Amino acid sequence: MSAIDDLAAELARLPGIGRKTAMRLTYHLLKQPAEQNRRLAVAIADLSERIQPCARCFNLAEGELCAVCRDPRRDASVVCVVEEPADIAAVERAGEYRGTYHVLGGRLAPIEGIGPEQLTAGALSRRVADGTIREVILATNPSLEGEATALYVQRQLADTGVRVTRIARGLPVGGDLEFADGVTIAQALQARREMA
Amino acid sequence: MLLTTPAVVLHAFPYLESSRILRLATREAGVQSVIAKGARRARGAQRMTLDLFVEGSAQLYLKPGRDLHTLGGFDLTRTRPGLGADLGRFAAANALGELMLRFVSEEPQPEVFDAFVAALDAVAVAPPGDAASAGLQGAWGLVAALGFGPALEACAVCLAPIPPDADATFGHAAGGVLCPRCAAERGGRRLPAAARDDLRRWTEGLPRPGALDVGTARAHLRLLREFLQQHLHDGRALRAFDAWERDPNGG
Ligand SMILES: [Zn+2]
Ligand SMILES: [Zn+2]
Repeated sequence: MSAIDDLAAELARLPGIGRKTAMRLTYHLLKQPAEQNRRLAVAIADLSERIQPCARCFNLAEGELCAVCRDPRRDASVVCVVEEPADIAAVERAGEYRGTYHVLGGRLAPIEGIGPEQLTAGALSRRVADGTIREVILATNPSLEGEATALYVQRQLADTGVRVTRIARGLPVGGDLEFADGVTIAQALQARREMA
Repeated sequence: MLLTTPAVVLHAFPYLESSRILRLATREAGVQSVIAKGARRARGAQRMTLDLFVEGSAQLYLKPGRDLHTLGGFDLTRTRPGLGADLGRFAAANALGELMLRFVSEEPQPEVFDAFVAALDAVAVAPPGDAASAGLQGAWGLVAALGFGPALEACAVCLAPIPPDADATFGHAAGGVLCPRCAAERGGRRLPAAARDDLRRWTEGLPRPGALDVGTARAHLRLLREFLQQHLHDGRALRAFDAWERDPNGG
């Protein structure tokens, strides 16, 4: 029985999957051809081996650079700063934005022990320092922590002379960029403001 | 049991696909963990604004003997966007929130809740770059409301009065200032008269006159940390407090 329990326990760790669902999935997999299960196992194993942070923007990447950084049609002089890779997918869904990204890897959250050192803000400063970037759009979540994080990044970039803007409100306060609809994100990008 | 109580969000993190788990400071039921089901996805009237440090009227379904309760609703009464508009205010507010998370139980302590709310209000409007003073006032106010206010006017051991303009020694174990004789026996940290006056004001809920320079702010934060370690601490690191002490004005 332990192989069943082991898999169910692993599945139950996934978001959105409780103990009952984990058991149901496990029994479903038991009925599948062994070959299909092997493909699933290989795909999962490959995921962590092949996907790594983009060397430039910390988005998820297969290879050194992510799909956005590799795309020559993207405007590399504009950088949209987000908290997590999932936020990039949300901005891309809006379909308006043609620049590139920078993933901070979270937001300032002192209670969780997340300070500036835990984020990739230093790498962003180095990207900006080489002079090819003319605008940084801060698209951290419209939450208190997201605002403080935007303020911190803006301070870090203040001496570089780069134009720093913040996406507009219109996104619900305390909300998640990830769950905002495309129209709202497109509007928030258009109505971005200078950060003084 | 349904309980409606004023509450402040102390910590929020995503749970499963669309829910949030929150730690709330409540006026009627201490600090509680609750789940807000579907909160990340809800729109329109269903939406609850559950950002850090927002205040509202929370409807809690409390299940006896359980650690995680259900949040039925949260009617927003107050947001404090000022806390995100200055990194010193942000640091101070997080340290205050951490003190609530760590040192307040599920027992109702309305006076502690009221002290916390007053502290957040003061920090939210503190002069940019000088939030440490409001934060320290708030933190000592919390300590006093928790029942650990230090002795400041008379020796904590022998009760000998200490003149207001005299430098003194602060004995953490004794819980306050010491007269020269008791200080000679027990040791402690030197507390200049001006710093003692700051402490006296803060524990009484009064602001300190003038701005607080970074060095003095750090000295005060060190004293407060040592005091917390002595009287309230459970041995685990205070991460938000440590970040605040390292950088009282948020860079
Ligand atoms: Zn990239
Ligand atoms: Zn004495």
